[in-house]
Amino acid sequence: MSKMEKRKKKGPKEAAWDVAVMGMMIATLEAGKMALSAAPNVEIVTLLVILYTLRFGKKTLYAVVVFVLLECAVWGIGLWTVMYLYLWPLLSLTVFCLRKIDSLWFWSIFSAVFGVMYGGLCSFAYLLFGGPSTAFAWWIAGIPWDLFHGTANFILMMVLYTPLLRVLRRIAPPGSEGG
Amino acid sequence: MKNKKDKKMIMIAAAVLVVFVVAALVLYGIFKPKAASGSKEITVTVINDQGEKKSYELRTDAAYLSQALAEIEGLSVEGEEGDYGMYVRAVNGLEAVYERDQAYWAFYVNGAYCNYAIEEQPVYDKDAFEIKYEAKRE
Repeated sequence: MSKMEKRKKKGPKEAAWDVAVMGMMIATLEAGKMALSAAPNVEIVTLLVILYTLRFGKKTLYAVVVFVLLECAVWGIGLWTVMYLYLWPLLSLTVFCLRKIDSLWFWSIFSAVFGVMYGGLCSFAYLLFGGPSTAFAWWIAGIPWDLFHGTANFILMMVLYTPLLRVLRRIAPPGSEGG
Repeated sequence: MKNKKDKKMIMIAAAVLVVFVVAALVLYGIFKPKAASGSKEITVTVINDQGEKKSYELRTDAAYLSQALAEIEGLSVEGEEGDYGMYVRAVNGLEAVYERDQAYWAFYVNGAYCNYAIEEQPVYDKDAFEIKYEAKRE
């Protein structure tokens, strides 16, 4: 039976598993975001998107899109919506391309790089709405915060990568032994 | 073999991180908002949700807007630390609640939108600041 045929024959158990995993990803992304919203530039979304993509692959991209829509429903539409629409899917896609790498140090450094680049990536949205000078000024003013964001991302990944990935590997589709 | 490849990727990631951090620090050192020292005369106009204006004139040595605002008698600015500096929630007791009304306090300097948080917005002589209640649903 080809891979394509196998995919078509996904049973109700597998479909239910998919829905449950998606729900878990979306709920924890939103809850994690809310829980740390009072702590400036400390967030757990980067960590979760990376770990979910490593464990669940392309499914994470759908969860990330729903997470962004949920954020819009909670906070309303703003300039940040545009940023979120490309930032988190871009992170997930990049991780997907590098998913074969299984190293605590690599993903911790990767998280730090994403944190340091965060303001620069966000400023692209300002290119559309305020022009290059606004985008540049906005990015420069936020650099100290970006460095802090990168440091926080690094520490969170160093601490949580191994235990969370161990837990996620136990979440296996029906009929398989897990990852 | 895999381990060797992972090590190589760690080295590349570390090099990228170092380059980005150094570049960010250098660019910040060159282009960060620079404050002016000495005495300045500025005006601050608050425009509330009804469009009513209240102006304040101030002679100050403050280098940044947050310091200048704190010196103005009869003006209260309240907020909380956000991802990119202080997020102003209430001015003169009037709250702008984005979550409820999609409303916020917008800061302008000499007619242009302020690019920096109020702790980083430099103050220059003759600057005219506007603090305006803006809402998307009106």
